[in-house]
Amino acid sequence: MTSIRALDTTIEVITPENISFDYQLAGPFRRLPAYLIDIVSRWCLIVLFVLPLYLSSLFFDIFTMRNLVTLPFFVAVTLLVYFVISWFYGTLMETYFNGRTIGKWITGIRVIEVDGRPITGRSALLRNLLRIADLAPMYAISNVAEGVPPIYMIPTGMVGLGTMMLTRRMQRLGDLAAGTMVVIDEKRWRIPVETVDDPRVPALATYLPADLRISRSMARTLAVYVDRRGAMAPTRRREIARHLIDPILEKVGFRPEIDPDLMMYTLYYHAFLRTEVAVSDTQDQVDLGVLRGHSPLRTSSVVCKHDNDAMPVERSSHVKSEPSDIDPAKSLQVKSREERP
Amino acid sequence: MRIAKRMKDRQPQWEELERLCDAMELRGKTDKALGGSYSGAEGIQRFASLYRSACADLALADAYQLPPATVAYLHRLVARAHNQLYRANRVDFRSWIDVLFVEAPKRIFADPCVRVSAIVFFGLFCLSMYLAFHEQQFPGYAEAMAGQSALEQAEDSFEQPLNASLGHYIVMSGFYIQHNTGIGLRCFAWGILIIPCLYVLASNAIQLGAVFGYMARSETASGDHFFQFVTAHGPFELTAIALSAAAGLRLGIGLFYTSGLSRIDSVRVNASRAVPIMGASAMLFVLAAFTEGFLSPSPAPYVFKAFWAILSSGLISFYFVILGFHDQPTSDVPSGKAKEDWDAA
Repeated sequence: MTSIRALDTTIEVITPENISFDYQLAGPFRRLPAYLIDIVSRWCLIVLFVLPLYLSSLFFDIFTMRNLVTLPFFVAVTLLVYFVISWFYGTLMETYFNGRTIGKWITGIRVIEVDGRPITGRSALLRNLLRIADLAPMYAISNVAEGVPPIYMIPTGMVGLGTMMLTRRMQRLGDLAAGTMVVIDEKRWRIPVETVDDPRVPALATYLPADLRISRSMARTLAVYVDRRGAMAPTRRREIARHLIDPILEKVGFRPEIDPDLMMYTLYYHAFLRTEVAVSDTQDQVDLGVLRGHSPLRTSSVVCKHDNDAMPVERSSHVKSEPSDIDPAKSLQVKSREERP
Repeated sequence: MRIAKRMKDRQPQWEELERLCDAMELRGKTDKALGGSYSGAEGIQRFASLYRSACADLALADAYQLPPATVAYLHRLVARAHNQLYRANRVDFRSWIDVLFVEAPKRIFADPCVRVSAIVFFGLFCLSMYLAFHEQQFPGYAEAMAGQSALEQAEDSFEQPLNASLGHYIVMSGFYIQHNTGIGLRCFAWGILIIPCLYVLASNAIQLGAVFGYMARSETASGDHFFQFVTAHGPFELTAIALSAAAGLRLGIGLFYTSGLSRIDSVRVNASRAVPIMGASAMLFVLAAFTEGFLSPSPAPYVFKAFWAILSSGLISFYFVILGFHDQPTSDVPSGKAKEDWDAA
């Protein structure tokens, strides 16, 4: 049912509706805090259950003026509560709260079956019982042999860590046996909408051929670039964008000295943000701003060199008419290209 | 249609789906979302249709040329809604009764691991008891195996005739459930590493055997009281230890005896088979704990305790053999979830 993309911590799940989507897997650095929180909350739960019991048994004894009648019941129930919570805390939590314990809820992770279905009772039982084996080897030694120094009682979790590193779904031994995996299940994300704040960009975009088609891989590249360009210095941006932009400049017939970063931004705008209306009907109202009176288009001699096959940019026969402040010669040049097959 | 416009159109629905997810994660209901405009069946319907359209958006994301960050957002949104649509089933106790009384005996009857673990446990137990009993031939064996202090402590605690109060019974049965079942569960968990499981099984067998042999010596004063104590719960408890180790071994066997499956699948299938055996073992531990808590320390006549031991042995045999016997070997015809795994593999 599932396939794994190499070198990534996401895993594809195909739902019964035949929709495939990606889960992000949770690694040890998310799961360890969750486990530590769970240890604390387990003890808190035990206290929470036992304290009212103790108080009520105390009050009962005082009320009936008899000494320690209910104490044995209290002790027995305490032992049972301790047993159930310490062994089945994870199992019960995960089955009742849809694959989450308190620690998992706080750290935003969830355990599901490897095929994306919700966790079943049997799987939850298995993976939680086998946690002991995952905490081995030191923990195992301290439980098996008496009289070892306390330093060996620290559970190192080497078995669990080792299997997590060796399996593609980052499963510990208990997960492997139960057929479960732990995924990240965050609550808040913004819908990423980039807004273009550079006034030159819409202006420059009007010079691009209207039917300039951006291929899928190109669109992806542009989106990733714009997503990350804020983290790069302007010179670095230019250096990176240069390699991508040079062939495109040639293709759309722009001058080679145009800032590659600006050009990338413009292509992004063209691919994702520009509306049809703005291009076809209202091009006259586009404020050219700083670009007024300058054309990015290059002269006729250079354009002919461009090669159609090597580019990720596709072109159809239609070319938009140039704004009025461009030479008739350049307009002609564009028209001549229109006739090419 | 341009991408920006399409995203603008779809965004309110995505946000609505997110709000519904918020409400469902918190309360399991859609009531509180959107100011209570959807509740009950209406809310579920709304949720389902929003989920479907988000799925469709994701499926067409590539064709729409949505930006990668938006696609990542959609993946998470759909995953989140998927988690709410397909929630974990709560533990169904009827199905566990089915597991305990139908699936478990069949597995136990057919599983070679049970035989291995029973032979290891009862064999070592009898051997150790024999060695500890014959002090002349094997001097110092019992002391070396069980420890001098443990033997003395056992001897001291059974010096008085058995007689205890109700309070004592209740506390002790609680303690035995917590302590002994814990040992069983731990033994099971270590089964996946095989060696620690076998170690726990063997060391328990040898130590118990040594104590039994020591107590059976004619010169041990408190021997009679000791055997009065252990007779009643012995069958349940010893069987439970052997069974929990058998379940553990079943887990571990999957690691190297894969029978044609991939190693991970084999571990999963075997683990699923081990669960009913472990369940049966836990049940026996609890029965043993109640016997050990209430009947064993009571001053009831020995005949009655012996009768209980025979009855419990008979019940275990009935459970293993009568409920467990069937024509087809289980190892080839797994049932329930194991069968699904089998088919999937």
